[in-house]
Amino acid sequence: MITSIGRRQLGTLAGLAGLCALLTVLTPHFLTVSNLLNITEQTTINAVIAVGMTFVILSGGIDLSVGSLVALSGIVLGSALQLHLPLPVAILLGLLTGAACGLVNGVLITRGRLPPFIATLGMMSMARGAALLYTDGRPISGFEEGFRVLSTGRPLMIPSPVLLMAGVYLAAHFVLTRTIFGRYVYAIGGNEEATRLSGVRVGYYKTQVYVLSGVTSAVAAVTLTARLNSAQPIAGIMYELDAIAATVIGGTSLMGGSGTLVGTLIGALIMGVLRNGLNLIGISSFLQQVVIGAVIIAAVLLDSTLSARAASARAKRTAANAAA
Amino acid sequence: MCRAGRFALVAVAMAGLFGCGRDVERSRPRVALVLKTLNSPFFIDLQKGAEAAAQRLDVALVVQAAEREMDVEKQMQIIENLVQTGVDVLCVVPSGSREIVPAIAKAQRGGIPVVIVDERLDEATAREAGVRPATFVGSDNVDGGRLAGRHLAEVTGGRANVAVLEGIPGHESGDARLRGFREAIAVAPGIRVVASQTANWERDQGFTVFQNLLQAHPEIDAVFACNDVMALGAVEAIAASGKTGRVRVVGFDAVDDARRAIAAGTMDASVAQYPSEMGRLAVESAVRLIRGETVPAEQPTRVGLVTRENVGALR
Repeated sequence: MITSIGRRQLGTLAGLAGLCALLTVLTPHFLTVSNLLNITEQTTINAVIAVGMTFVILSGGIDLSVGSLVALSGIVLGSALQLHLPLPVAILLGLLTGAACGLVNGVLITRGRLPPFIATLGMMSMARGAALLYTDGRPISGFEEGFRVLSTGRPLMIPSPVLLMAGVYLAAHFVLTRTIFGRYVYAIGGNEEATRLSGVRVGYYKTQVYVLSGVTSAVAAVTLTARLNSAQPIAGIMYELDAIAATVIGGTSLMGGSGTLVGTLIGALIMGVLRNGLNLIGISSFLQQVVIGAVIIAAVLLDSTLSARAASARAKRTAANAAA
Repeated sequence: MCRAGRFALVAVAMAGLFGCGRDVERSRPRVALVLKTLNSPFFIDLQKGAEAAAQRLDVALVVQAAEREMDVEKQMQIIENLVQTGVDVLCVVPSGSREIVPAIAKAQRGGIPVVIVDERLDEATAREAGVRPATFVGSDNVDGGRLAGRHLAEVTGGRANVAVLEGIPGHESGDARLRGFREAIAVAPGIRVVASQTANWERDQGFTVFQNLLQAHPEIDAVFACNDVMALGAVEAIAASGKTGRVRVVGFDAVDDARRAIAAGTMDASVAQYPSEMGRLAVESAVRLIRGETVPAEQPTRVGLVTRENVGALR
C-alpha cells in the first residue's frame, strides 16, 4: 500500500521534472531563481485550496464551492480590515466564514443526505451571491502595509505566501498521515459502509472534511486579498476546477480512498509550471488552454492505465502462485 | 522504467506543441501586449492594430490574455511571467484598475516601462504604490458616454424611460461611460433612468438581465449598455418579448455585430472606439520608449457615434 503510493508520487514527480527540463531547454528565462520563486508564489493559492480538496476527494466527495468561498471569506476579511479591526481578528473572521460555509456543506451532505456535488453546487451559488450582495458587486480595496506583507514580505528571501503554503502542507500532511482523523478519511473514501459498520462516526468525520476545505479556501483568500490589495466578489471563479485538477494530477483517485498531499502539491506545481512556461515561451492564450487540458487528461490516463496494469500483473502472479 | 518512458513520450509530444509558439529572436526589440481577454471582437481589433504596427516598426510582439476577462489574478501571473522574460516594454489593458497595480509595480521595479491601454489605473492606488506608467493610450470614455446620452435625448425628444446595463463594477472605463451618460441626460429632465444593473460585460447576462428589467419595468423604451456585447444581449431580449422597434438600444464600442444590428434597425446607435488605433498607438509608443524618446502622458484616441445614417460610411 505504502510503496504503491510512493511509486505513484515518483511518477508525478518525474512528470514535473520532465516538464522543467523541457522548459529549461526551450527558454533561458525558466531556470532562474527569481522565476522559480515566481512560480511557487503563483502556485500558492491553487495549492492551498487543493489541500482541502484532497481531503474531500479522499473521503469520496467533491467540493465545488471552494472558489466562491475564496470570494466570500475574502470579502469578510476585507471589510473587517476596512473597519480597522486588528489583523489577527480580521483573518480569524475570514477563516470562520470559510469554516461556517464548510460546516453547512458537511451538514447538508451527512444529515441532509444530499450528494456532495449538489450540496456544494448550491453553496457555490449562495456564497457567490452573498459576496456580491454584501459588496454591491464592488471590490473592497486598499489595505494597510501590515496586511500586504502577507503577500509582499520576503522573510529569509522566500515570498511569504510560499512559507504559508509550506506551513499548510506540513500541518495537513501530519493530520492526514499521523492522526485518527486522517486514517478515517482514507477509510471512509475506501469503503464508507464498512467504516460505518466498524463503529466509526462517519457523518462526524465527513462534516469535518468539508469544514477543513472551507478553512483552506479561506486561507487562500487571505493570500489572494493581500496579493491583489483588494477583495473581489468575483474572485476565485472556477478555482474549484483548478484545485480538482491539481488533486487528480497528483494521483488522488476521484473514487476516494487513495492519494496523498505530496502528490497534490506536485500536481499544483505542474499546473503552475505549465502556465508559467507557456507564458514565457509566448504561446497563444488559446493554445495554452488546449495544452493544460491535454496535460490533465494525459496525467490521469497514465495513472489509470498503470494502475490497471499493476492490478492485472498482481492477479497473474496470484494465479501463477495458485497453479504452483 | 516504463513510466519514465511514457513521460518522455508526453514530453516530446509537448515539445512539439511548444515549438510552434517559440520565440527565440533576440535581435529585435520585444514588446508584450497583455489584454483582458482574446475572445471579444474589441480586443481582437486592438491586437490586429498592434500587430500591424509591430510588423511595420520591426519589433517582436507577444500578445497574451487570461482565459476569463475578470480573472485579475491570472493577468497578474502573466505580467510577472513576462517580466521574467525581460521584455523591453509592457503594454497592458488592466483587468482591474486597482488590483493590477502591484503587478505593474513589479514590472517597473524590473526597469520595464509600462504603457497602459484602454482602461486607466486607479490613480490613488497607483500613487500609493509609486507606480508611474509611461503613458496612457485610450478613448475618452466620459466623452463617449456624453455622446450616447446626447443622442438618446435627441432622438426621444427628451422623454424616455431608460434602463442602463453597466459593466463589471470597478472597471474605470464602464464607470466613466456611465458618468458621461448621466451628465448628458441630466439636462433633459424628461429622461428617467428607471433601472441600472450590471451585466458584467457579457452577452448572455445582457440578455437575462434586460429580460428581467423588462418584466419589472414594462415602461422601458430605451436602453444604454456600457458595451455592445451587453447591448446585443438586450436586443435579443427585446426580440424575445416581441418589442423590437419599440425600445431604442444604444451601445458602446461599435463592434461588427453592433454595426450590423444598427444597419438592420434593431439597434439605434453605438459609440465607436477605435481599438485598432489604440493597438497601433500602444506599439508606437513602446518603440519610442525603447529609443529613449519621451511620449505624452495621455494619448486619447477618438470616439464617434455610429448611427443608421453613417453605419455604411464609417470604417
